[in-house]
Amino acid sequence: MSAEVRITAEPIDNGRCKFLVSEPVHAGGVRRFASPDEARGSPLAEAIFAIPGADVSEVIVSGNLVTVVKRNPAPWPAVGKAVGQAIRVALAAGLPAVASKPAAAGSATADDVLYERVADLFESQVNPMVARHGGRVELIDVQDAVVMVRMAGGCQGCGMADVTLRQGIEAMLQQHVPEVKGIVDITDHTAGSNPYFAAAKK
Amino acid sequence: MLRPYSPRLLLLLPTVTYRTVAFVEAARRLGVDVTVASERPSTFERANPTGLVTLDFADPAHAAVQARTFAYAHPVHGIVAVDDDTAVVAAAIAQELGLRGNPIAAAAAARDKHQQRQLLAAAGVAVPRFELRTIAADPERLAHGASYPCVLKPLRLSASRGVVRADDPPGFVAAFRRIKAILEQPDLAECGDWAGHVLVEEFVPGREVAVEGLVTQGSLRVLAMFDKPDPLDGPFFEETIYVTPSRLTRTAQEDIAACAQAAVRALGLREGPIHAEIRHNDRAAWLIELAARPIGGRCSGALRFGNGGSGLGAGMSLEELIIRHALGMELPTVEREHQASGVMMIPVPGAGVLREVRGVDAAQAVPLVEEVVITMHHGQMLVPWPEGSRYPGFIFARGDTSEAVEAALRAAHARLEFLTEPAD
Repeated sequence: MSAEVRITAEPIDNGRCKFLVSEPVHAGGVRRFASPDEARGSPLAEAIFAIPGADVSEVIVSGNLVTVVKRNPAPWPAVGKAVGQAIRVALAAGLPAVASKPAAAGSATADDVLYERVADLFESQVNPMVARHGGRVELIDVQDAVVMVRMAGGCQGCGMADVTLRQGIEAMLQQHVPEVKGIVDITDHTAGSNPYFAAAKK
Repeated sequence: MLRPYSPRLLLLLPTVTYRTVAFVEAARRLGVDVTVASERPSTFERANPTGLVTLDFADPAHAAVQARTFAYAHPVHGIVAVDDDTAVVAAAIAQELGLRGNPIAAAAAARDKHQQRQLLAAAGVAVPRFELRTIAADPERLAHGASYPCVLKPLRLSASRGVVRADDPPGFVAAFRRIKAILEQPDLAECGDWAGHVLVEEFVPGREVAVEGLVTQGSLRVLAMFDKPDPLDGPFFEETIYVTPSRLTRTAQEDIAACAQAAVRALGLREGPIHAEIRHNDRAAWLIELAARPIGGRCSGALRFGNGGSGLGAGMSLEELIIRHALGMELPTVEREHQASGVMMIPVPGAGVLREVRGVDAAQAVPLVEEVVITMHHGQMLVPWPEGSRYPGFIFARGDTSEAVEAALRAAHARLEFLTEPAD
């Protein structure tokens, strides 16, 4: 592990913030934790749920990206610094920050079925649509009926990416796979080098 | 089972706006149905015809007809615009559909700096002396008739693009030619008659503030007053730091608020957000510009409404407040949080292709700094003012006092390093 772990916070809104870490936090796909109970055995997720006063409701870890969702409406600074500290401590411990995804139980099987249906939808409809703007949407995982996606190409960093996510992909999921409970974008949009629509101050 | 009633918001989002996430996520938090309208079609429009629609933003009357057709099938209960052009479109649609909004003429006058000046001057609002000039005119001749110092500006460009101060006739000629070159760029030259003119106005010295407000039935509520601690004396007018609350005297702030209210009245604005730039000196509060839209870029991140706790309205964003107003929903609060807050629009460090930004972590580590957002992508061209209008990013800070927030913003900025390469 290198000496300095660099972490960039990218709040999406008051409730949701992405933390981009300069080194991988979890290499084994995506892990989503929706409660402290689910976080047991994953030191990083445990530490984030335990941040006092944050009222964290969800932690998603994928590669070098940690997404945190909180209920407390206060702005991110205090919680953000505590999350950064938790990430640094977890990486410094030299142990897996996040446990591997448990082998199939009942809910995992349901997620596997959902994954297949969502993957079909992405291949047959979603990706042909975004491809018209040079974009691509990768299905990363489905956990507890929540779909995790990463955007690439013209979608990554695009000024309208959130419209594509909410009004496009999420709406299609509601229509075709209504069992899906939500969608999470784990894209590092700041790294997009060729967005289809680039924003300007107006 | 019947779905609970949810009002539908028509959100006008140009494809180049920074405001997409803030408004879309705010609408989701409020649980309203959203239809996003843009000037270019989404690739999902056929798949989600209730959630996406293409409107002719270049022709507000046509957009209103399109919106009426849409609303027959999907009733619309409120409309929100995010920039100067869509503010006029929103006014046309609001009139067509009978929604809360501004008169079209008022929104159009707010968009056009010359029309705005004429209306304000006629109503007795303090504005710089001004003259309209065509870009076909001989600048050397115009320069001899001008008073100095003066400011030359296009009629509609945003973010102070093309705004240049001149202190003497040679400076006037140089500024005029520079603005003419901007306005003759293909993407602007086709935009209409306004791109063939330049406004020449008196330079007004003084402290400049930005006023963020919400108009209801013609009455302005000031939501926040931002100091701009870096003097905006030219030759170009790139914004840098905004900090609220203002450190101006109470009397000065009252003068500024009264000036903004008088401008709202003079323009005939009735409903929705406004963003005004006002200068204050020992003679008066001078209305420099007033737009019928909220603050631009990512700057709204500096504003939060409500204080503490987790009750209704605590930590409410400006976008939530605007959407609530547009839909006639209850406004739990319009009180800004107690903390001081600020944003720095990171200055363009020089012309070139952006290759790397260093020091972001160090900047974020500065006490009181909440966020450093680099919005430009590697490989993008950095274009300095007056030709440019895109900031490479934004820094946000909060603290107990405006002084502390300003110092934190400056300290964070000092830690950033932009590596660029000359353009080919």
